Amino acid sequence: MVEHKVDSIERSFNWSLAGILLLVPAILLPIMGVTLAGQYHHASLLDCILALIDRGFFMIATLVFLFAIAVPIVRLLGAFYITYSFKFNKLKPSLLHFFRAFHHLEHWAMLNVFMLAIVVSMYKLLDDTELSLNMGLLALILWLISSTMAASALDQDYIWQKLEDEFVD
Amino acid sequence: MSINTAKESNLALCPQCHKLNSLPGEPAKRAKIQCLRCHGFFYQRKPHSLQYTLAWNIAALIAFIPANLYPIMIIYPLGIGEPSTILSGIGQFVDLGLYPIAVIIFTASIIVPLLKIIGLFLLVYRVHTGVRLRPDKHSKFYHLLEFLGPWSMLDVFVVTLLVAVVELGFVTSVAAGPAINYFTLTVIFTMIAANSFDPRLLWDKKHNNE
Repeated sequence: MVEHKVDSIERSFNWSLAGILLLVPAILLPIMGVTLAGQYHHASLLDCILALIDRGFFMIATLVFLFAIAVPIVRLLGAFYITYSFKFNKLKPSLLHFFRAFHHLEHWAMLNVFMLAIVVSMYKLLDDTELSLNMGLLALILWLISSTMAASALDQDYIWQKLEDEFVD
Repeated sequence: MSINTAKESNLALCPQCHKLNSLPGEPAKRAKIQCLRCHGFFYQRKPHSLQYTLAWNIAALIAFIPANLYPIMIIYPLGIGEPSTILSGIGQFVDLGLYPIAVIIFTASIIVPLLKIIGLFLLVYRVHTGVRLRPDKHSKFYHLLEFLGPWSMLDVFVVTLLVAVVELGFVTSVAAGPAINYFTLTVIFTMIAANSFDPRLLWDKKHNNE
């Protein structure tokens, strides 16, 4: 029944490293912009949250921040820390707790939903404005790919087994 | 064919690390178990799982009503406010002939939340009464509901993006409407409801009836 993923630690490590490098451009670079009647305006992922705070939608701003920025970042850093510890043989007993906490966040990362939302809003804007795509979109797509790959490459059974052999008597 | 559940064999699977723990001696009913591997605490069956699921589910259903009645987005083309609800937003896409987008939004914002709420009510009812309970089918159904949950956030993210991007001073701007709060609450409540439900209960009742 148990099938180990090939080269799990190595691949997950590389993907999460790529994700961490893409993190800053994906959040700060403008995703898309619109031109209407000579005026141009664009927004990044962070701008979306600032705009919501500006309009007084604090709850939505907090939740969008959590689901689209905070949880994906924590998941990515978590995957990086775990694979780093395995790759360089720096296993600590605290990893047991860490990896358990890592599982709890599984359902709450919604970067993929956010990507679909970008596509939908493009169609909404195409109708009566001039739409331009910016570098932020590319960075965001690559960020989504690398964090998805980092999470799916991670072989949880193998990690749990190894941590158990190491620390549980 | 009779299926032996882990509970009858005095075993319990840790929900976090998937370690099969064998329980020492006769465990007190509803006691917390500490996993041998990850040291996390868990229950063999979540206590009051059905009540929690039902409560969160009712909260989600209540929040779903204002979510559809109030405007989710107000578009200001040339200064005049034009409020649109979730359904009228879908209608606009249909008018424009963008059927695939209309179908995606309709699925994410209307079908998925309703399917989740009705589905969880159904699961709670089936577990409670044990009528026509089919563990294999119903656990697949439960995992489908769990997977679909986050996709309902689609409309909230779309409004967020539009509010931030379309900010052209006096000419045109987009404002979020009150429905966005209620709709987000619906999504969060259904996700918590799905998390509160313990799918292992699906396997218990069947055995009791035989």
